[in-house]
Amino acid sequence: MRISEIFRLVYLNLSQNKFKVILTSIGIVVGSATIMLVLAIGMGGRAEVAEQFKNLNAGAIDIAYGGESSFNMKDFMNGEMPDMENLGNEMQQFWGSAGNSGSTRDGDGSSGRGGFPGSGNMMQQFGNMFDGGSSSSGDEVILTTEDCEELELFVSGISDSTISYSSKASLEGGELESATTYTLAGVQSNYAGISNLEMAIGNFLTDKQNDSKEKVCVLGMSVAREIFGSAYEAYDSSVYIDGRPYVVVGVLGAMGTVASGISPDTAVFVPYETGIKYITGPSISPTVTVIAADVNGIGQVMADVETVLADNYEGATFTISDAGTKMEAASASNDTLTWLLISMSVIVFIVGGIGIMNVLFLSVKERTNEIGILKAIGCSRRDILIEFLMEAACISFIGAVIGVLLSLAITPLVELFSVRVELTLSGALLSLLFGVVTGTIFGLQPAYKASRLIPVVALNHE
Amino acid sequence: MIRMKGINKGYMLGEEKLPILKNIDFSVEKGEYVAILGPSGSGKTTLMNIIGCMDEMDSGEYYLDGVAVHETPQDGLTDIRNKKIGFIFQNYQLIPTYNILQNIVMPLLVRGMTYQEAEAACMNTIHLLGLTDRIAHKPSELSGGQKQRVSIARALVGQPAILLADEPTGALDQSSGKDVLKLFRELNEMGNTIVMITHDLEVAKSAKRIVRIVDGQLFEE
Repeated sequence: MRISEIFRLVYLNLSQNKFKVILTSIGIVVGSATIMLVLAIGMGGRAEVAEQFKNLNAGAIDIAYGGESSFNMKDFMNGEMPDMENLGNEMQQFWGSAGNSGSTRDGDGSSGRGGFPGSGNMMQQFGNMFDGGSSSSGDEVILTTEDCEELELFVSGISDSTISYSSKASLEGGELESATTYTLAGVQSNYAGISNLEMAIGNFLTDKQNDSKEKVCVLGMSVAREIFGSAYEAYDSSVYIDGRPYVVVGVLGAMGTVASGISPDTAVFVPYETGIKYITGPSISPTVTVIAADVNGIGQVMADVETVLADNYEGATFTISDAGTKMEAASASNDTLTWLLISMSVIVFIVGGIGIMNVLFLSVKERTNEIGILKAIGCSRRDILIEFLMEAACISFIGAVIGVLLSLAITPLVELFSVRVELTLSGALLSLLFGVVTGTIFGLQPAYKASRLIPVVALNHE
Repeated sequence: MIRMKGINKGYMLGEEKLPILKNIDFSVEKGEYVAILGPSGSGKTTLMNIIGCMDEMDSGEYYLDGVAVHETPQDGLTDIRNKKIGFIFQNYQLIPTYNILQNIVMPLLVRGMTYQEAEAACMNTIHLLGLTDRIAHKPSELSGGQKQRVSIARALVGQPAILLADEPTGALDQSSGKDVLKLFRELNEMGNTIVMITHDLEVAKSAKRIVRIVDGQLFEE
């Protein structure tokens, strides 16, 4: 029999048993919807990770003075109790949150929060009241631009370096009714390039402005909007930082949430030397960021950096961390979650496939007489096998299509729970493919059974 | 047309084999209308299944229209059923989900025709059997006599070597039964070879030749 005619018979059978087809395909509907959503959520997670790490340079290595543990005494003295869980483990997490909530010690390059210049440990800024004890040196070390130069000189494989620090500063001006505290970052001119920052308007800070300690600043997009209403209004205006006027020479493009370090949107950037002279004073704890020319050579560069620093600062402890490892870890974590969800989908598919198999077995039993008639008029085993397999494939395809449509309908509900969902055509095609393949595989045994029925037995089946 | 020699067939009953057909010799010439008459359990249905290539014989030789059926593998029997035999069943054996036309064209579709070709090829037969205005109906919408006409139409469309009818009037009322037998005679007069199996002597009398089967053995009348 021609395949087209077998397909006509399949269509005839399915169109006359619509309800049965829907019931049979429920497993595949759920399986396809699940795998489509899982892939979409996985892609969403991947995009989320990529977005959060977009200010990181894969070759970036952060170097900050201090060990793993530290504690912000200023906050403590101000009555802000630290997170005791973090105190025992990752105190840097505390610093990170404190930085965003107004602590003058902000960011946390010391814990290697990921290749973001300016996220340095600033313990010293608050009088060195407490050191977590990780530093074995009695004297505090303040990294300087000279350290950058030395590292570039003595460590091969470094393509660029910068130094930065972050703090908190009180801003006035624009539409602000009262002084408001913002994150302040003292940076060099190459900071923007290293952190993948883009300008919305104006220019980033220059070496000349840094050398002459000019009172200029670059605002993050959120800061510009809060103070001036828009980036356009902010540009070339003045803000008062700790009472001194600073000209806004540029506004950064919106970056959104970032995974680590300072959020550029909510920060005010000033020239490194300007910040030290007028805002923070010399007691800072900067982070040096070096960029490995070859991402694959990061390990060696880190080892060499450690050697150079050990020579220069005997007994001092530095935290040296690279951004790439964190990005990989985040991606790997996301991949693991995706695979876990895909495994769940596969289980759903298997359950759906078993459902199809059971219904097809019943269908073969129910249609034994029909199979007998077909065999009596000369239908070959091949024709019957193909007919039942095509039925299984069609039921699965219908189920998979419904599943994909269902996932499209469910997506807005999932997004209500702040889960990022990235629906893709490839995900839909994969869901369809999985659905059809699963149904067909599980339909194989019933179809084979139907094709092997003995004509006279099938014909006399009651 | 049909040459059977020394056909034996039995079924296993526990550990013993129960003989059903015993050394059957049977011949049918082209254009004959033969009735195989026998009571229930005499082996007539088993004989029909073997003639119709639906069941395998234990031993013996069987030639159908020149083809050695006893030497033909299973796949070949499928082809013989499609091209050389037209089955007419007691309970019609129509596919309930297909309409009348779809049921009738099936043997031609199995041969590899397209639906359009098959439809064109079977329209004369449909007209001959008076089913023209019923082709879009489902079997459940037809009377017993009409269903049997559909069954006969399906058997005829492939222009088989023989028409094999198993108790063709068994499920019909007397009037419909007579109509079917009249149709059989007309078909035979048109040159069709018919082998009919029945337990009813009156039905058998419509055939030109009657063969009795008793305890698995054939006797010419």
